Formats: sequence, C-alpha cells, structure tokens
Amino acid sequence: MNPLVAKRTVDMEIIGDWVEPNTRVLDLGCGEGALLDYLVQQKKISAVGVDLDFNKITTCVRRGLAAYQGDLTQFLRAFPDRHFDRVICSRTVHELSHPTEVIFEALRVGRTLTVGFVNHGFWKNRLNALLQGRKIRNEVYTTEWFDSRPANPVSVADFENFCATKGIRIARRAHLAGDWHTPRRTLPNLLAGFSLYDLAR
Amino acid sequence: MTDDLQVAAGPDSTPRHLAPGDVGLVAPRDFVWSQPFTFKSGQKISGFTLRYETYGRLNATRDNAILICHALSGDHHCAGWHSPDDKKPGWWNNLIGPGKAVDTNRFFIVCANVLGGCQGSTGPSSLNPATGTPYGILFPFVTIRDMVRSQKLLLDHLGVAELHGVIGGSMGGMTALLFAIEFPHFTHRVLAMATTGRESTQAIAFNEVGRQAIMQDPAWNRGDYSRDGGPRVGLAIARMMAHITYVSDASMDRKFGRKKKDNAAGDAYTLDMQFEVESYLRHQGQSFINRFDANSYLYITRALDQFDLAQAYGSLEAAFAPVEADTLVVGFTSDWLFPPEQNRALALALLRAGKRASYAELSTDLGHDSFLLESEQLYTLVRGFLERDQLYTFDYAI
Repeated sequence: MNPLVAKRTVDMEIIGDWVEPNTRVLDLGCGEGALLDYLVQQKKISAVGVDLDFNKITTCVRRGLAAYQGDLTQFLRAFPDRHFDRVICSRTVHELSHPTEVIFEALRVGRTLTVGFVNHGFWKNRLNALLQGRKIRNEVYTTEWFDSRPANPVSVADFENFCATKGIRIARRAHLAGDWHTPRRTLPNLLAGFSLYDLAR
Repeated sequence: MTDDLQVAAGPDSTPRHLAPGDVGLVAPRDFVWSQPFTFKSGQKISGFTLRYETYGRLNATRDNAILICHALSGDHHCAGWHSPDDKKPGWWNNLIGPGKAVDTNRFFIVCANVLGGCQGSTGPSSLNPATGTPYGILFPFVTIRDMVRSQKLLLDHLGVAELHGVIGGSMGGMTALLFAIEFPHFTHRVLAMATTGRESTQAIAFNEVGRQAIMQDPAWNRGDYSRDGGPRVGLAIARMMAHITYVSDASMDRKFGRKKKDNAAGDAYTLDMQFEVESYLRHQGQSFINRFDANSYLYITRALDQFDLAQAYGSLEAAFAPVEADTLVVGFTSDWLFPPEQNRALALALLRAGKRASYAELSTDLGHDSFLLESEQLYTLVRGFLERDQLYTFDYAI
C-alpha cells in the first residue's frame, strides 16, 4: 500500500469507531464511496453520499451505494431537521465555497457532524511554505499551483476558533501526527497532520 | 420521443441484425387478457390485448426479468430487427442486447405497447366488441396506473416471479416509478430517466396545443374516423410541435443551423419551404401519421398530464412510502421538458422517505431525448446499477 493510500484509510478507521451501527449516515463529498462502503460493511449503516461528479456517482452506484449528484447545500436544504444520525464531511471542508452555511445545514439535518481535514498549520507545511516561498507541496498537497483547484485550507487553530465563535459544541477530537496514525494530543495545531472532530449543535 | 437518434451498428459487411451485441431478428407477440378490466376511472372493458416483445431467457428462479417502459410515442419494439430490411432497429437498441448495458445474456427483457396505444395493444383504434366499430373516444380514459396494472398481468402471464428491474425514460420513467409503488415486493430496481413526478404547467400546455391541433382538425370528427383517414393534418402538427420539445435549441442549431433547402427559392419573399428545419419537421409529422393514431395521442397525453404522484398520494414522500426497490433517477442537463430539477426532486423525496435512491445527471445538449443517447458514461451507470452485486468485492481489511 503506498503511503497516500494508507493515509486514506486512516479517517475510515477513526470514523468507523465513531459511527454507531445501524444508523443513517450522510457523506458530503463522498467521492467514489470508499468510506461509505467501508461503513456499510463494518457498521451496517444506511448510507447516502453526495458528490458533484457523474463518474464518481457511477462508481458509488456500482458499489451498491445510494449516491446523489449535486450541490451539497441544495441537497441539505431538501431534508428535515435531524433526518440523519450522522453527517460526515471528511477532506471536503477546504473545498467548500460557503463553509459556515454547509456546516450549519449539516448540523441541522444531522444529530452529529464529523469533520476531518488536513491540518494546514502542521509544522512541515509551515516549514515548506517558509523555505520554498511557494505553494506547499508534499505527499498530501501533491499538485503544483497551476494544476490545483481553488482551495481554502484550514488549520486546527482556524477550526477551533470557528467552533468557539459560532457556539458549536465539540463532542470529540482526534489529532493524528504526520503519519496520520499516531495520536497527537499536545500542540495539535503544530504537530497534527490530520484532525477529526465530532460536532453537535 | 423522436425517431432519429438511432444509428445502425455494425460494419458495412455484416448484416446489421447479426452485428455483435445485437439481439437480431425479433417478432412481437400478443398477450390476450380475456377477463374484464376496470380502469382507474371506473370504466370497464371486457378484455384487452398487449403487444409485446421479449429478449433473453427467463431463468429457473424467474427473477431475472427487466421490464422496459416506453415513452408517449414509443412501442414494444425496443431492440432488434423485425426484418433484415428494416430501416431502423428497436428504439433502445443501443442500450439493450447481448453484452450491452442491459444485457440480454443475463436478463429476460420484456417490453409492451401500453394500454391505450396503437401499435397492437388495445386502444381507441381497436374494435369495440359491443359495436363492431373502433372505440374512438368511447374508449375508457387511460392512466399510467392502468398501464402498470395491465403490464403486471402480462408479467404474471409470462411467469415472472419478481422484476430484477423496471426501466423507462420520460413517460416510461413514470411507469417505472409507479410499478415500484403499486407492486413493491415485486419490483427490485427502478431506473427512471428524464422523467417527473408530475408534469410542469409548460409541459401540460404543450400537450394541450397538440390535442387542440388534432381536435380542431375537422377530420377528427369527435374521434370517429376510419383507419386510414382521421385528423392527419392535426396529428402531424401536434407531432411537429412536440418534436421541438424533445430536442434542444443547441441540438437543432447544430443539425440544421439556418441552412436553406437546396431547392429554396432565391428570394425570401415566399411562404414556400425555405429552411431545412422546416422540411425536417414536416417529415417528422408525415412519418408520425403513418404509424400513430390521433385518438391514442389524445388519450396518452391526457394520461401524462393527469399523472401527479404528490396529489394522488398526498405527497411525494407518501407516494414512495411503500417502495422497496432501489431507485436510480437520471436527469439530463439540457432536458427542458422534464428538467433535471424534477428528476432530482424524485430522488430527494425517495431519500426523505427513507428509501435507497440515487441521482445522476448527465451533461448533454440533446434535450429531453438525451435518455436515448449513445453514451459510454450512461451505459456504465446503467450496467453498474443492474449488475452491481456481481461486479465488486472490496476488501477493507486494514
């Protein structure tokens, strides 16, 4: 397994621990449905994914997952309060054009919202930016500036500040070191490579 | 549905019906139901005939059947060829065949002309046994539900124990959805494309113009006309207008632009045919009157307009409450007759009702008829939805 693929499975493990069996789970930005497929197999959840890409939806359908092609916010608006037990937004927040709106809508339609993101404040990212003076590039940020989509990177400190400012309760945190495996409890904004949060209203 | 999205497959040397992936020569059959049938309207007929075709074989457990549901002007001939000299194969020949997205090596395909139709199934042009003359407008009003119930009788007759899937575009999508509502245990998968839970005001308006074109034609004669007569002008105009709603501005522009007919008069100060698009639409109208009955057109467009799941069941969610099938809804970006929004609404309502539903949207510029598109992306999606159990086993051992 190459390092990046190994990293992809990390949030699966942790989210898999957090997800209760037989619950209704929505994955925002589900991609090809790897996480949902895993959760269906491990936790017998009832799963729905949302993504923008036709071919990714096709892969989800081939995997037997329910998947919806379309805009996240419009999708969320179509559901009543607390329709889902858990909404997952892993490795998607940095691509949202209106993160506050999506997060609040997700907290409305879900009892719990799981957010996972690459910590932009991780020391290697800081060092990389400082030394190169260019767009950060490493095994996580793999693309040159000119091959990248617009992104809105977020750090642990940004996210903690967001939750405090908006009055969002953080029920659970998991910070992982640069290997995305070893738990890292101290100085997460500097030392965590990947962080996961469970949020509630 | 337009007539001209089909392209015959196969290299020039191979007869088209023998091309790989083609179901080949097929023949329609008639299912005769000789007991009284009560329509949703309460009106009755003493029996009916459905003309249908099947491809592939029903398996021993009788659970590999897929029902194909046709659109307003479609019929039971959805794949293969009736004779080697046919100009065109069945209307969904690109999708259905051995090894194709709807694989006849794997599935038993059934497609019937709808009740109320005019391609061999009982409808307004059939003889009323009570009078010995065509029913005309004495034929009971037909609803999508009547189409569903009559086709269920056909499937029972064929020995189908349960449907692996039901597939349809446009009106066929409505039929497919209603199958899952009316017969939830029987229907395992629904694939509905370019469809709606109820037509928009605009779609009803277009249908009304078509109906008025027919009914204002003196030859309509309140539905009482001979087989080779009738409101041919009205029906042709109805078809010309409807055809425009099945395509798009972009696709018509690409096909015809403002090209003039070769024999168009030099100056434009004439009402004679000038543009190629005029000639094309006239041809569409003329070829339609040779194969379609005007009264059937009135009846089936009425059935389309009346279809309203939300109204019939209280809400879309209530309509979908009994559904046990997995549903895949496919919308097409350029479809302005049954636009993506209306397709999305179906998938969202199914999900709100706690059902397993997916929605995919294909970017095309061909308009409503995009569901007939030759598209590898669409084929992969359709095949994936129908065959997924066998396709993938993922290993998530970490």
